[in-house]
Amino acid sequence: MTRARSEKARPDAERAASASQELRSRAEVAKLARLLGRDPGELEYLEQVAPDDLATLREQTTEMLFAAHDATFKRLATSSKLLPTGLVSMLAQHAFGPVLSARIAGLLDPRRAVDIAAKLPVDFLADIAVELDPRRASDVIAGMPPEHVLKVTRVLVARGEYVTMGRFVGHLGDGARDAAITDLDDATLLRTAFVLEDRDRIDALAELVGEDRIASLAEVAEREQLWPEALDLLTNLDHKRVADGLGRMDPEDRELVELRAREQGVELPTVAA
Amino acid sequence: MGSEDPARELKAQLQATPPKGVAALSDDELSDLTEAIRDARHRQAAELQVAGEKAFGHIPRLLRGPIRKVMGAAR
Repeated sequence: MTRARSEKARPDAERAASASQELRSRAEVAKLARLLGRDPGELEYLEQVAPDDLATLREQTTEMLFAAHDATFKRLATSSKLLPTGLVSMLAQHAFGPVLSARIAGLLDPRRAVDIAAKLPVDFLADIAVELDPRRASDVIAGMPPEHVLKVTRVLVARGEYVTMGRFVGHLGDGARDAAITDLDDATLLRTAFVLEDRDRIDALAELVGEDRIASLAEVAEREQLWPEALDLLTNLDHKRVADGLGRMDPEDRELVELRAREQGVELPTVAA
Repeated sequence: MGSEDPARELKAQLQATPPKGVAALSDDELSDLTEAIRDARHRQAAELQVAGEKAFGHIPRLLRGPIRKVMGAAR
């Protein structure tokens, strides 16, 4: 048995950990920039801040924006009960737009919100998804039928909205989550898993990555320079599954994975000789 | 950039104490961040105003009264 990590790898490990933090901070800046309606480049100076601090800042900003017009949002949600769902979906598109619709979504009765969503074009739903705070509309998201989630996911993938998808994964119903993740290509899966909002939920995502997919994830990681993302996911997978997946790879490919892991200071499960 | 204490300005805008890593930004950066947050709140207020007016135009006359009643305190 060989250890994938050696003493010599430490400087690399520190560099890799720092690179990983930088990537996470960049993803957080992208989320905050969206919330503030700014271009992420304008907030570049925030990339020096730790990702956890940026996540806290984003939550504080979200709180403030909701609290600032809380009474109006609630009245809008209440008054929408007087209108048929078809009219509400029309108002969402033609009067409120995606930002305000996203703010109000979590205040609606979840079942009614799902009915309204069913009447909205997929592109507009994707626009709302980008603006939505999933924690405030968790019941609505969980109630969305898998086929609808899949359609929205495909629009988000086409737009490269990994950050949005990463925020949603933990709130999807089981069927919708399985359908969406199974549909993701390897590069998208890696990018999405890396920016997952609720890091505890990475287990749920990892559950869906079989050992047969590990080889293709490694291939795409090498091709698209996604090793921090790939190793982050691999270290969260069941160790036996990773060992099995590595064991199935060509020795040359396996050595490459082990080399990249050493470079990133990551210890992978060992493969039985 | 205008404010005498950018850290206090940010706290006031956020209505919360910003995390340490954010509070450690330079004065200019703090001022820019505060301005971005203030702009977002103002933009939201303006969008709500316009959306409310637009929405009324789409609602059947019969329902406008009851909706106005619910929205009353906000309009």
